[in-house]
Amino acid sequence: MTSSPQSGQRAVGKLADPIGADAPLDREALEEIFDDIRTHPRYDSELNGCLNCGICTATCPSAHYYDYSPREIVQLLWTENVEGIYDAMQEKIWACAQCYTCAARCPFGNSPGGLVMVMREVAIKHGMESAKEVLRPFSRVMLKVMTTGNQLAPNMITPEHFPDWGPNISKVEAPLNILRKAIPMPTLHTQETAWAVNLKTSIELYTIWEESGVLDQLETMDENLFDVIVDIMDEKREDYADWLEEQDDDDDDD
Amino acid sequence: MTDPILIVGGGPAGLGAAQALSAIGRKSILVEKEAELGGAPIISGYAKLVPSGEWAKDAIGGMVQRVAGSDLVDVRLGARVTEFAGTPGSFNATLSSGEQCQVSSAILATGFTHFDSINKPEWGFGTHPDVVTTVQVEQMMSSGKGVYCPSDGRVPDRVAILLCVGSRDRQIGREWCSKICCTVSANIAMEIRELLPDCSVYIYYMDIRTYGQYETEYYWRSQEEFRVKYIKSRVAEVTSDGNRLLIKGEDTLVKRPIAIPFDLVVHAIGMDPNLENATIAETFGVDLQKEGNIAQQFSYGGIGLTSRAGVYVAGAAVGPETIDDSIAQGQAAAMAALGMDGGMVAPSAAAE
Repeated sequence: MTSSPQSGQRAVGKLADPIGADAPLDREALEEIFDDIRTHPRYDSELNGCLNCGICTATCPSAHYYDYSPREIVQLLWTENVEGIYDAMQEKIWACAQCYTCAARCPFGNSPGGLVMVMREVAIKHGMESAKEVLRPFSRVMLKVMTTGNQLAPNMITPEHFPDWGPNISKVEAPLNILRKAIPMPTLHTQETAWAVNLKTSIELYTIWEESGVLDQLETMDENLFDVIVDIMDEKREDYADWLEEQDDDDDDD
Repeated sequence: MTDPILIVGGGPAGLGAAQALSAIGRKSILVEKEAELGGAPIISGYAKLVPSGEWAKDAIGGMVQRVAGSDLVDVRLGARVTEFAGTPGSFNATLSSGEQCQVSSAILATGFTHFDSINKPEWGFGTHPDVVTTVQVEQMMSSGKGVYCPSDGRVPDRVAILLCVGSRDRQIGREWCSKICCTVSANIAMEIRELLPDCSVYIYYMDIRTYGQYETEYYWRSQEEFRVKYIKSRVAEVTSDGNRLLIKGEDTLVKRPIAIPFDLVVHAIGMDPNLENATIAETFGVDLQKEGNIAQQFSYGGIGLTSRAGVYVAGAAVGPETIDDSIAQGQAAAMAALGMDGGMVAPSAAAE
């Protein structure tokens, strides 16, 4: 494959026609992105071939509402259309709801939803603006998930954050501590988290973020959020170390 | 080698074998598990056959009459072979009646099983009464009742035929093409249009495999003369709005998901290996291939050889097959059973 080295610099994330004259990436860069997709450990098991029967798109809930077609994603990958793949990574792949109905139906045994997940991982690896845009509204939730393992805490449910609830939101405006105390399980008498989170569990969670590469992905996506989360992680780890020391001291006292 | 030749199965392949053997004056014993001869075309009530357009009851019925009327064919209805022992030229078959037969060789013409559409529940068979199979439509036409909606007996305005139901589908472990359904569906579509000129007929396909001469006579003619519409789409599901059936699919050429109402939805069901193949293989000591059909030893030169010397196979027992080719294979297996097997030898015989 010959590639034209004329415009070498990367304007990663710039939304533009990837085939036109002002293409944001040269051919080489597009192929690099595709190579990351193609060599992903799951790629070969998610894509076996394609008959273009369209059952994936026919069965896809997102295809009914968005300009998104799992068949198109499969075709772009199967025909190694690197421009089209890059284009799809700008917006289309983020319309998939990851329900995997496509995978349950495909007569070939492909998993278009799995391929979308691979493409998302690669979009994050390359710091694509589309990935950042998708994740931006979720920074509050990300902070909560990564530091506590909870997604949504009771004190996060406020009228300004849930305008779509309409007048019903007033129901949660009663004193939160009383509402929570009404739940029979004491572990749910919390406001900062959805349930009482064990410190040791949190520390173990941090190890998972680090070992699985999620923390690195976050650094690429949102450096500020990454800094905040790493600070909290360090703090909690110190707390845990102190707690362990206390236990040792208690043991010595015995 | 004067013992008769055992033929198992009285469908097109078995009838073809029996006809051939009786034509050259050789005796055969034809064992059929059902109460009548004819196999799927007769027992499942097929209508007009590809490629001649003759009614199954005339075309295959004629074969049945010739075979049943032959002094050289000993027919055993409602019977199965339960044991089979011996060596080529001198086998002993035990029938379910307890009868013992000395035979020189055996031809397995044991056929196939129609795919059971209940295994694709998202396409509505078993849930909606107006979702039927190609076999049911054949029965509607061959019975003279015409094509109707089973729910209320009304004549349909819009019929959809779904191809590859039980074929080419890794989700349900059926990776093979059943070979006949495209042409059969085009044939049925034309018959419906002939019977009901105001009825629209749509065919939903992944590929159209009206191979060989069937391209012009069925695929093209169904469009040019009969205005049958072809939509490239494997549908997601068949549901109902209370009145009509709804087909949800993607028109892959127009590239949008579509939901279209229909009165009658027809599954073009594929050909599964005979459900009894495991028992048949055990009884006759022959190998099955990976899909569960009876394994043939050679693609070229040898005719219908199984893994056991002296036991031959013909027709849909080896995989999806047409009626006319099944008959030809039955005749070819008869030649092999007479010793004209082209010098090819089954592995078990080579080992002896």
